[in-house]
Amino acid sequence: MAALWKVVSSVRTCGVRLPADRFSRTSSSFSSDSGSDQRPRTGGFAAAFDLQSELRRRREVENSVADGSVSSPGQEHSFASLLRRSPLIQMGPAKDRVVIGRIFHVVQDDLYVDFGGKFHCVCRRPADGEKLQRGSRVRLRLQDLELTARFLGANTDTTLLEAQAVLLGPLEGREARENQNQD
Amino acid sequence: MAARALTKGLWGLRHSRLVTVGHPCGGHQYATAASIRSPQLQIDDATEKVINQPLEKPDFFRVSELFSVKDLFDARVHLGHKKGCRHRLMEPYLYGCRLDQDIIDLDQTVEHLQQALNFTAHVAYRGGVILFVSRQRQFGHLVESTAKNCGEYAHTRYWQGGLLTNAPIQYGPGVRLPDLIIFLSTLNNVFQPHVGIRDAAKMNIPTVGVVDSNCNPSLVTYPVPGNDDTPVAVEMYCRLFKMTINRAKDKRRQMELLHGLSAPSTPSS
Repeated sequence: MAALWKVVSSVRTCGVRLPADRFSRTSSSFSSDSGSDQRPRTGGFAAAFDLQSELRRRREVENSVADGSVSSPGQEHSFASLLRRSPLIQMGPAKDRVVIGRIFHVVQDDLYVDFGGKFHCVCRRPADGEKLQRGSRVRLRLQDLELTARFLGANTDTTLLEAQAVLLGPLEGREARENQNQD
Repeated sequence: MAARALTKGLWGLRHSRLVTVGHPCGGHQYATAASIRSPQLQIDDATEKVINQPLEKPDFFRVSELFSVKDLFDARVHLGHKKGCRHRLMEPYLYGCRLDQDIIDLDQTVEHLQQALNFTAHVAYRGGVILFVSRQRQFGHLVESTAKNCGEYAHTRYWQGGLLTNAPIQYGPGVRLPDLIIFLSTLNNVFQPHVGIRDAAKMNIPTVGVVDSNCNPSLVTYPVPGNDDTPVAVEMYCRLFKMTINRAKDKRRQMELLHGLSAPSTPSS
């Protein structure tokens, strides 16, 4: 009887709906062996769900015991792994890479665009760029992450504290709407 | 009896020095008569406990809970300048160089930042004057509003030569100098070290400074290797310092209330 209750409750938690009449039928037929063989066995999905959730729970318990902190499987903790998986490193050399940036400041015809690097870049407003205002997302082709050069007689490079990129245009249509929804 | 009076007098002298720790330029106070100490001895006990209790634990203000490696990473603190701009003395703090761009080691930054925030908290707890300095024009307003929000001071304009070293003449005698100077960027607008670092070292004022890969960390007491050019990073530093200072001041008020209530009332007549 206890086994029947456990099976039924696990089936219930899986979200498998059990009509009341079927339940009464199974309880009435429990006394016979054939009845106990038929119904109480959980369905394929329910059994798989149970198994996976048990595995995940056990893994999380082990992780928390090992690390001392509860960590979900997708979370990185060490700086080295964060750096390795960061978009900046995965991108590689910045020359001619297309990225998405956001305008954070406008001075008449100059657009200051932040694309996630150390510095921002400054682009001139294109002829048809009336709708590019503060907060709009644009596509850029990067040339350099930081404009530096060593001049004659200097010990260190002189830096302009800016990146260089070519403005390709606003982020079009569906992508822009999706990104705005995500934000 | 005379020996006891002498030790009481000396203890009172030590107490007066503890109380005036925030007045480096003020006149020294000497307490010689032991008789004025005895009725106030119990108040001094409470004050001593309030002042010394934070020193017993390594992280009394729990500043390590304010940030994590992931927060620093998301604020782009690990990005340095290009290889050609690197300062030789920043090489120990760098993780490496990726495609000519220096990457600052955030594991070291976390330790340095914890020490810097802990020191700031202790200074704020003892009622010290903190001065925020940054010569970067794009963060001038941010630094000033940060200082205003935590009740401290900021100097983001041109640094006059004798501001610290010639203060009694420029600002009048008996002016109180800051007890801690926090540099959000240690360079001035021509990429030279800020004069305030050298002057603070001359005047024995401890400094906390965010040093980028092109800065000189030598004279800074608590250097914090990190990015000082990106707005996200500087906003994060300002937020952390503001939270630390406010936390320390609240803790001080709390401790004073606690010990003020628990200290036995002295017979005043």
